[in-house]
Amino acid sequence: MDDYLPILILIILGFLFAALSFVGSAMLAPKKRPTAAKIAPYECGIVPTIEPPTRFPVRFYLVAMIFIIFDIEIVFLYPFAVIFRQLRSFGLVEVLVFAAVVFVSFLFLVSNGALTWGPAKQLVRAMPSRTSESTIARITAGPGGPGGYRDPSGPGPGGTRTTDPVPPITGDPAAPAGPVRAA
Amino acid sequence: MLHLTYLIILLPLVGFAVQVLFGRRLGDPVAGAVATIFVGASFIVSVGVFFDLLAVHGAVRSFTQNLWTWIPVGGMQIHAGLYVDPLSMTMVLFVTGISALIHLYSIGYMKGDRDYPKFFLYLNLFVASMLILVLGNNLLVTYVGWEGVGTCSYLLVAFWFTRETAAVAGKKAFIYNRIGDAGFIAAAFLTFDKVGSLDYSVIFANVGKIGTANITAICLLLMVGVAAKSAQIPLFPWLADAMEGPTPVSALIHAATMVTAGVYLLCRVNPLLHASPDAAWIVALIGAATAFVAATIACAQNDIKKVLAYSTVSQLGYMVLAIGAGAYEAAIFLMVAHAFFKGLLFLGSGSVIHGLHDEQDLKRMGNLRVYMPITFVTFGIGWLAIAGVPPLSGFWAKGDVLDNAWAAHPALWVVGIFTALLTAYYMSRLSGLAFFGQDRWKNKVAVGADADMPDAHHAAGPIPEPHESKWVMTLPLIVLAVLAAAGGVMAFATPHLSLARWVDPVFSGSLYNDHETTSTIWKLSTLDAVVAVIGVFIGLRLWITRADRPKLEWAFLRQSWYFNEIFDAIIGRPGARLAQFTSTVIEDKVIDGAVDGTGALVRRTGMALRRVQTGYVRNYALWIVVGIVALFAFMLTRTWWA
Amino acid sequence: MSTLLFAAASGAYGAKIHTPHIDYLSILPILIMMGGAVLLVTASSLFRQVMGVGSATFITVGTAIATLVAALFQWDHVVTHGAKVTIAGSIAYDGFSVFIQIVVAIAMLLTALIADGYLKREGIDGPEFHVLAMLSASGAMLMGSANDLIVIFLGLEILSIALYVLAAFNHKRAESGEAALKYFVLGAFSSAVFVYGIALVYGATGSSNLPQIADYLSKNVVASNGVLLAGLALLLVGFGFKIAAVPFHMWSPDVYQGSPSPVTGLMAAIAKAGAFAALLRVFVSSFGTLRADWQPIVWGIAILSLVVGAFAALVQKDIKRMMAYSSINHAGFILLGVQAATVRGVSASLYYLFAYMFMVIGTFAVITVVARDGDSGHQLTDYRGLGKRQPLLALAFAVLLLAQAGAPFTTGFLAKFTVVAAAVDIHSYALAVIAMASAAVAAFFYLRVVVAMYSPVGAVGDLSDLDAGELDAGPISVASPANAPVSVHGQNDAVASLSVLTEGPPTSAVADRMVRVPGLTTVAIGLSVGFTIVFGIIPGPIVDFAHQATLLFT
Repeated sequence: MDDYLPILILIILGFLFAALSFVGSAMLAPKKRPTAAKIAPYECGIVPTIEPPTRFPVRFYLVAMIFIIFDIEIVFLYPFAVIFRQLRSFGLVEVLVFAAVVFVSFLFLVSNGALTWGPAKQLVRAMPSRTSESTIARITAGPGGPGGYRDPSGPGPGGTRTTDPVPPITGDPAAPAGPVRAA
Repeated sequence: MLHLTYLIILLPLVGFAVQVLFGRRLGDPVAGAVATIFVGASFIVSVGVFFDLLAVHGAVRSFTQNLWTWIPVGGMQIHAGLYVDPLSMTMVLFVTGISALIHLYSIGYMKGDRDYPKFFLYLNLFVASMLILVLGNNLLVTYVGWEGVGTCSYLLVAFWFTRETAAVAGKKAFIYNRIGDAGFIAAAFLTFDKVGSLDYSVIFANVGKIGTANITAICLLLMVGVAAKSAQIPLFPWLADAMEGPTPVSALIHAATMVTAGVYLLCRVNPLLHASPDAAWIVALIGAATAFVAATIACAQNDIKKVLAYSTVSQLGYMVLAIGAGAYEAAIFLMVAHAFFKGLLFLGSGSVIHGLHDEQDLKRMGNLRVYMPITFVTFGIGWLAIAGVPPLSGFWAKGDVLDNAWAAHPALWVVGIFTALLTAYYMSRLSGLAFFGQDRWKNKVAVGADADMPDAHHAAGPIPEPHESKWVMTLPLIVLAVLAAAGGVMAFATPHLSLARWVDPVFSGSLYNDHETTSTIWKLSTLDAVVAVIGVFIGLRLWITRADRPKLEWAFLRQSWYFNEIFDAIIGRPGARLAQFTSTVIEDKVIDGAVDGTGALVRRTGMALRRVQTGYVRNYALWIVVGIVALFAFMLTRTWWA
Repeated sequence: MSTLLFAAASGAYGAKIHTPHIDYLSILPILIMMGGAVLLVTASSLFRQVMGVGSATFITVGTAIATLVAALFQWDHVVTHGAKVTIAGSIAYDGFSVFIQIVVAIAMLLTALIADGYLKREGIDGPEFHVLAMLSASGAMLMGSANDLIVIFLGLEILSIALYVLAAFNHKRAESGEAALKYFVLGAFSSAVFVYGIALVYGATGSSNLPQIADYLSKNVVASNGVLLAGLALLLVGFGFKIAAVPFHMWSPDVYQGSPSPVTGLMAAIAKAGAFAALLRVFVSSFGTLRADWQPIVWGIAILSLVVGAFAALVQKDIKRMMAYSSINHAGFILLGVQAATVRGVSASLYYLFAYMFMVIGTFAVITVVARDGDSGHQLTDYRGLGKRQPLLALAFAVLLLAQAGAPFTTGFLAKFTVVAAAVDIHSYALAVIAMASAAVAAFFYLRVVVAMYSPVGAVGDLSDLDAGELDAGPISVASPANAPVSVHGQNDAVASLSVLTEGPPTSAVADRMVRVPGLTTVAIGLSVGFTIVFGIIPGPIVDFAHQATLLFT
């Protein structure tokens, strides 16, 4: 049981730290209620008028995915490189198989348009009525504006969080490596 | 060809499948022809297997074909196996042979029926079930066939289910048979409990270990099944009502094959019966009583098919009597001969009914020999055969039974010989009324119209002139007539090939032997013949001249000894009252209350579940943690105690 | 890859590295399955324009058949040459593992056939579905072969991660995403628990290799080792989550409901097959000596699963939720065989898995086609009148449901019978009785669907359910306008009245029209029903098969 004593101490320390953090922050923090402005989502200085849609395009995800793929490959290649003499041909074959499989995933991403930058190529059938212009129009014009995407009974400027007035988004212009293909 | 045994069952099954899939498309005559061909092929395979079996020499002339392991669970290893030995082979031969003939006959008889293909569908399924019953090498396979023939019997009796009486008769047949099935399955359970197997070979090898009391119990439970299936006292009334089915069905199922299943089963388990003399005695008594009671009832019936139905019951009683007396060979002999002549009689009666446009009342028949010569000649052979007039098959078969009854106990013989007299009498009465006398079918109303027999069928108004049936119907009659006439050959064809010698290995060690001296047998046989002739004489003498003799048709006999009424009084009406009580008190108060209570409970459980199944991942994770904590707690107790 | 990991890890000590001998035959089916997935993704990346769902299905079916053939060859090889461990002891090559390969390969084959029609109907293009399905199948197969806790974990993760994505596959349905998220979060949680269990077991025994653990336990008295027992408990939790045993089952109704229907079938079949295979191997062959410690836990989990599964399914109106609870109930049954921990119990569990695989995939095939466009028609009322409109489809569904209920002359009956017999064998009478009672309860909700199918569409009774309130209000909490609830009761665990005929009108106006059954789906349903019936009447061959699929060490 002695072997586990350090672990036990560690557990106790962990609990203590967590408890102290809570107690400390409760004691030190100023007692101020959050205002409506404070809990509103932050949109780069634009006053948010609506809830963001459930999904929105973030193309960086795909880049991040590609990065991770190669990152993982490096993580595995490094230890291999250290001992590759000892592993001899067996290791070489193994690592080649590994690299090939990783490359296939890269191939898949590229063929899915991960490196095709810009909005020119629509990967899926986007909502025909919804374009970048309409989105801009909607955001700038407010309710009843030319975008016309607002539910007539929807919230006014600085709208309260009642319902989600945005119609369903069936296809995302740039869904991350999802099960969609170029149309 | 022994390894092709499975084909015997498979062919009718394939026929059944063909009827299911294409029956409607094949239509009127073709569907029947296809069904007949499949059963005929099955018969041909049977003949091949028979000759192969014949070629096997040695003490054990048998063959087991294990098709597959059916239920392999732990100690219970049940194989779907077939067992071919002289006994099952005899059954297979006459079942397939007669089935083929009756299929052929049905092509003509059922012509124009609305559900023509369905009829042959059922008929093929029946043949397959019957063969499964006969060929099964263990009680469970036999039981599958047993249930199968019961189901087909129900479907076929109620074939014209739009007719109230047919529907009721079907139900009646089914319920009586369920009682029997319960006995059968209980016997199987008991056997499995004591032996640990349902295979006949294993059971018979372990007869000594079962214990006499258990054997008696098994035999009597089986006898319950036999009483229902083979229409023995007290479970026989369904067979008369089963005549509501089409006549080929009556001939095939309720005369030649299915009803003999019980007799076959008793023969199959002969080592058990042999080990329990008490059970054998009870079986013999039931058989004798059934033979006598049914024969008396048959004397007073006016529906041609009912006479034959009670006659069948009576003959089955003879077979059961023979088995009880230990004379299995005699029972088999009578069973085969009976299949021939009773099949013939039913088909002949069907021909008569057909010719008279669905008239079944004997009192509206008469002098048909002029109009239906082939039917008359063939039917006549059947009549004399069942009456026991030498040298027709019935004489030899019945004589064999009576000899053995004499050997077992003279009292059994007395009952038997008196029944034989009655048999000759009522069959002659039937023939006299139908084929001799005046052309009563020209009359508008039946002589002494049957007010108390409401279910007798009458054609509406005067009947047009009768006509002979077509070849598909007369050919089976002729074939069966030849068999019924010459069936006695089976008893003494050659020393090596007599039926008794053929099936003897199956019953080795049983009571039967020819221990009567030759002179005794000669005396008994002469007496049989004399009794038969006397019966025929009286019957014809009384009934050719007059069709109206109410003194000879006691209401007591016409109402089948009031068996139906007795059952109704002791079971039916109390049962109905119980059902009434159940539906008003138990159903309304107890069960509904319980169901409502259960419903409320489920609903409340649901409400409780609602709080658990919140839809929030955090709650779900919490439950996993709860599980972990519970498991840890348990492990902690294990650590402490250990 | 795994071998590389080991090699790299042991290399850190600077000792001479022994590269293990790779017995390719022993992992051939897994390699084919994974290779098929890689091949498919490569081909479809290179030839995007010409590769449609059809060609992806073609490759997947081909891969599944190749896997099956390889597994059958393995079976022959194992039977003639005997079982062994391969690849440095990390893979068990025995009848048991081959049995699981066969089950999973067939499951993959059937799912590919069903998914083809589904993907075309839903307008989901591309090979990703099949790729992910094949990867998860290879994970399940790896779990069946794994002879090392680490390899089991590897298989578990391959299986699970692919399934997480598959659950989210129909991105037009908000439920699908929600299901995937829930499954992922809870799955990650349970994986963490499982890994912690592995760590504790390793700490207590000094090995993660199953035979070595068994060896250690047989040579050392560790009866009161709290760390080992805690490790055992955590492993059980991890497995319990994957097989959806109570109380680790909470995810399954939501995930089953939300996932695309073919995925649900696959999930139910292969996740159970893989997890049960690993569970049996770990607990029967490695921790057999500690039986007294874990048997009571399995006993309790089995009872909870049986009872909760049966009763909760009783009040469902959504058929996929109902099937989820039904699968919990089935898990309880299979746990009967685990709890017995005898040779007979193992073979009974295997038989159950095999039979259940066909039943559940066939069931979800029917559910897939009945759900119509959008995969939304899952209410009990959507099944009204199916018997009249499409008698063959209804008959097939009825057969599959009755088989799940354990009706005689189906494989389901013998499956239940064998596990109960195994429980009776070790005198777990209470468990056997509860199992049978739960089967009786379960029969009710299966029959409810059958009755619904054979009752007319117009039979709208009193709407007595309206006042029943809703159960499980939460599960599909995303207020998705795309899937605005049509029926008043919502789509969740509203308490269904126990009477079938007193439910509201069908969810959609088109409910009385025929549903299209694609040809390949018909094949899959036909295979499932055929297997269920034929081997229900002639159970011998499959039972013998399961008997011979023995564990290498017991």
